[in-house]
Amino acid sequence: MTEHPSPDDRLDDLTSRLPREIAPPPELWSSIRAELAPRSRTFQWNARWRLAAAALVVAASSSILTLLAVRARDGVYRAPAAATADSAPTAGARLPAHLAVAELGYARSIDALRRTLDERRDSLAPSTVATVERSLRIADSAIAEARSALEHDPSNRVLAELLASNYERKIDLLRRASELAPRT
Amino acid sequence: MARTLSLVRHQGSIETPRSSTSDDGLVDRARRGDVDAFEQLYGMYVGRVYALCLRLTADPVQARELAQDTFVRAWEALPRFRADASFTTWLHRIAVNALLERRRRDRRRTARVSLAEDEEDGESVVAGVVLAPDVATAIDLERAVAALPPGVRRAFVLHAVEGYTHEEIATMTGLAAGTLRAQLHRARQLLIRALSL
Repeated sequence: MTEHPSPDDRLDDLTSRLPREIAPPPELWSSIRAELAPRSRTFQWNARWRLAAAALVVAASSSILTLLAVRARDGVYRAPAAATADSAPTAGARLPAHLAVAELGYARSIDALRRTLDERRDSLAPSTVATVERSLRIADSAIAEARSALEHDPSNRVLAELLASNYERKIDLLRRASELAPRT
Repeated sequence: MARTLSLVRHQGSIETPRSSTSDDGLVDRARRGDVDAFEQLYGMYVGRVYALCLRLTADPVQARELAQDTFVRAWEALPRFRADASFTTWLHRIAVNALLERRRRDRRRTARVSLAEDEEDGESVVAGVVLAPDVATAIDLERAVAALPPGVRRAFVLHAVEGYTHEEIATMTGLAAGTLRAQLHRARQLLIRALSL
């Protein structure tokens, strides 16, 4: 005698026969496509311009604050030292010990992010790479400026905070650049 | 629901949602902003996504909106997509999240004060199941599933139709394991009764 399947088994059997795919209305893609176009184009530009703008803001605010801090000390403004590659701490730089230690930490982070960015360089559009490099040079300049001022006034807390802030902003720039979408 | 079934492409057995990894190249291109690659991905997955949306909403108009929302969100989130999940699973998760957000938004809009589970399990909706045809075919099942209360339907569709585990559904929906088990049990009871199995 054949055993009748249980209601649960029959339900499972019916469920397994349900179609996995159902064709959507034909105009669905065109509706989706209409929403994609503006976003796809702006994403790349926004990402690039955000980096450039962030770097300019860092440089401008850094210069103004450095100028104010130095002037508050002795009314003299010194030209910034030449930017070093990726703002590596200058050998023999005269910084307070705690700042020198912090600077080494920043340098390690920057080196790691720089390596990541270099590995991805070939997958980025040349114009993106150029924007990133320009932004990094501006960030380096801001760091060098704050650092130079701090070497002449090691006890100036504003300058110390400014230097730290500039390093952190450069790290943020590098991190964001490393996460940029590859070339389109 | 029955009207939309005329658009069915093919039937297939339940398979694990994590099945396709052959689209990595397309995903990578789409992630870089290549709309043509994204259109190809759309062509590959829209059938499954739309089927899920239709079963979750039980309404062709809402299903279309939900499917559109799902793909637009997927496009925006692609740069953050990681290959540790399949693209299908990822899309389905987006669809479920979008559905849950819509439900929350709709609830706020209508300013209802009843508890969500009470509302979803209301007897007036269950009555629709009882009225479903008693001939046990796949189309009848679709109609019976469509008549389930929304929360119960969501649990059944994700588990029994799409093959997600309890844990995966709990992650997608935020449901407690006990609630999910109860919903699945209720779904089976209602369907068996509606289809006279």
